[in-house]
Amino acid sequence: MNPFEKIFNYQMLSRLDESNAFALTTQERAWLKMLLSHQSAENAFTSDTLGKLRGLLADEAAADIRDIIIEKAKSREKHVYHPMLRSLRRIIAQGFGSYITYRLKHGGMRNQFGLPLKLEYSMVKREWYLLWYSPRSRMLMATKLDNLIAADAVELHADRAASLHRRASELLHNRKQQAVIEVVRMYNEELSRILYAFSCFDKTVSYDEQADLYHIHVTYPADEGEYLLSKIRFLGLRVRVAEGNYLKRRMWESSSKAIARYGIGE
Amino acid sequence: MARESFDKEVQLLRLLALAGGAYNRQQFAARLGISVHTYDKTMRYLKEMQSSLKQPLSPEQETELSDGLRYNYYESADPLLLFLFRAKSLKESESVRLSTILTVLQDQSLTAKELLDCCSETMSADYPSPDEKTIRGDLKYLEEVGVIVRTSDSRPFRYTAAIGLINELSDDELIDLYDYVDVMANTQVPSVQGYLLRDTLKKALRKRGFDPSAAETHLYKYHYHSRILDEAHLHTIHRAIRERRRIDFVYHAPRKGKNYAAKNTNPLFEREEQSQTQPLLPLRVIYDHQYGRWYLIGHTQRNAIAKFRMEGITQIEEGEVVSEEEFNRHLNTVERQMERSWVVDTLRTIKVVARFFNPERPGSNFIRERVEAQGQWGSITEESDESFLYTIMVNGIYEIKPWLRSFGSSCEVLEPAWLRKEFIAEWKEIQAHYEPVRKNI
Repeated sequence: MNPFEKIFNYQMLSRLDESNAFALTTQERAWLKMLLSHQSAENAFTSDTLGKLRGLLADEAAADIRDIIIEKAKSREKHVYHPMLRSLRRIIAQGFGSYITYRLKHGGMRNQFGLPLKLEYSMVKREWYLLWYSPRSRMLMATKLDNLIAADAVELHADRAASLHRRASELLHNRKQQAVIEVVRMYNEELSRILYAFSCFDKTVSYDEQADLYHIHVTYPADEGEYLLSKIRFLGLRVRVAEGNYLKRRMWESSSKAIARYGIGE
Repeated sequence: MARESFDKEVQLLRLLALAGGAYNRQQFAARLGISVHTYDKTMRYLKEMQSSLKQPLSPEQETELSDGLRYNYYESADPLLLFLFRAKSLKESESVRLSTILTVLQDQSLTAKELLDCCSETMSADYPSPDEKTIRGDLKYLEEVGVIVRTSDSRPFRYTAAIGLINELSDDELIDLYDYVDVMANTQVPSVQGYLLRDTLKKALRKRGFDPSAAETHLYKYHYHSRILDEAHLHTIHRAIRERRRIDFVYHAPRKGKNYAAKNTNPLFEREEQSQTQPLLPLRVIYDHQYGRWYLIGHTQRNAIAKFRMEGITQIEEGEVVSEEEFNRHLNTVERQMERSWVVDTLRTIKVVARFFNPERPGSNFIRERVEAQGQWGSITEESDESFLYTIMVNGIYEIKPWLRSFGSSCEVLEPAWLRKEFIAEWKEIQAHYEPVRKNI
């Protein structure tokens, strides 16, 4: 099995597109067969569909490439596929609103109308969230699917849906923050791993050849500041916040607090 | 003809994804160890591919490819780097022929002779009409990769497109399948085949009249996008491991700065300047979730465990087969030695003890949740309402240290004492750097 196949070639693909034809290879079917054996398949399909899929793939080879892979430093998976994804994704795709009932952090629950926007999986926390817009509080909400009790679809008038979407995307846009992280020159040798660590963000890199200095320009949603900070701390002395007052202040705070933890006064 | 290698494209795309925007053409070429001319040629090919795939790009992504590959998180979960796997070269006439065959086989089964007639009728006059031998060769290839199947056991064989996975499903079932493939390709490794399948299913949904945005209901934060580039080698390594076969390759240590060295065609310069080829018995592949990087673990002929970053591996060649007994012996050693590796470290095992502090604010205990989720095999002991202890036996401290440090003031290292000292010194240095900020508060 080689992922570099003629059949995957880009010209091949666009020709098949033009004639509305499909090509499914053994590799792709074997991959699917391998992943249908994952327990989360039970949550993703009705039992009829799952049976049908397994039947369609019965003749595929069963060699499991994951046998040679060891995954390290992975967050424990709370879940991969949440049972509520199926109904929520249909509400989103149809542009419906929803009455959302969810558990509150400190106990109790709440029910309110909202516009479901996206389903988001956190690779760090390894669980699903529903991102939605709450017209009542005019806020973007992120609710763990584990805390979601019910979401009933509500058909919306096209104008109403459009205006809710507009407000939600404005909010999304306004949340964007920017910061510049400097790679401390002494650690340029470790540039590769530093860039890998930041490769999960929306970023560009600039390089000043004369000073031999790299800067990483990161764009991130405001509520992800803490995650960005944990990456910066992860790399320790290798990087510094060059621009971004909030991040700088937080770095000062956490280093001061850390020193205090070790019983060393200022 | 030499086997087509994609080492150059892999390295170029990786550099674009990691350090996009940082280098000009000359700097890029120098770091890749290729000429500016080759750099330009490869970029042209990649751009041609990108534009012909008609990937819907957001305005931000539409900046020049050479400025790097940018992801707008809220726009799409399409993996831009997937186009690497669309790079296999193919003659135009061949792509026309293969796609014509597949198109006519979508909803009927035909023999080679019937296909020959079909092709002569439907193929544009710009291309030479194929002969029967060519068609039989094409059918053999298509059957080998599994996109067509024989529908009869007796000659003359009839063939049809193997698209039951699409045709046999109702609209609702197709959506469920698309979603599942999307979720698994994005959250599990390996994922390249899943992403390729996702592409096809997305088109099938479009063909059935679903709005393309209907396929974009999921987001994933955060991905290490370049991880899929390293899967380029995964299948070669998988086969070698399955067959208990040694491999040879040229390794470019990522630290050395040059990621790829053009193969010199001038015999006077045949000597590899960068790195020797390394005969290695591959045993396991490790995926590091902290950076999205892959490692190849194997046994060298100098009788040692060797670890290689997948991104530095080029020009893999398969070598001799070893005995099952030898393979298992080395595999057992590796598994034993790496049992306590945070990632791949096989240094001496050390006991690390750290105190974690629960958040001061009431609400969810995100510190505890993170330690439980990411602390691997370490154990937790209750201490007080404010804190708990985390203990782990781990090979070396270099790999666990960044993780402990990422908790900031919520983590206090207790053992070993010298690690505690290192943390104190580092936090002092960090604090000193940000000290001027305090004056502005």
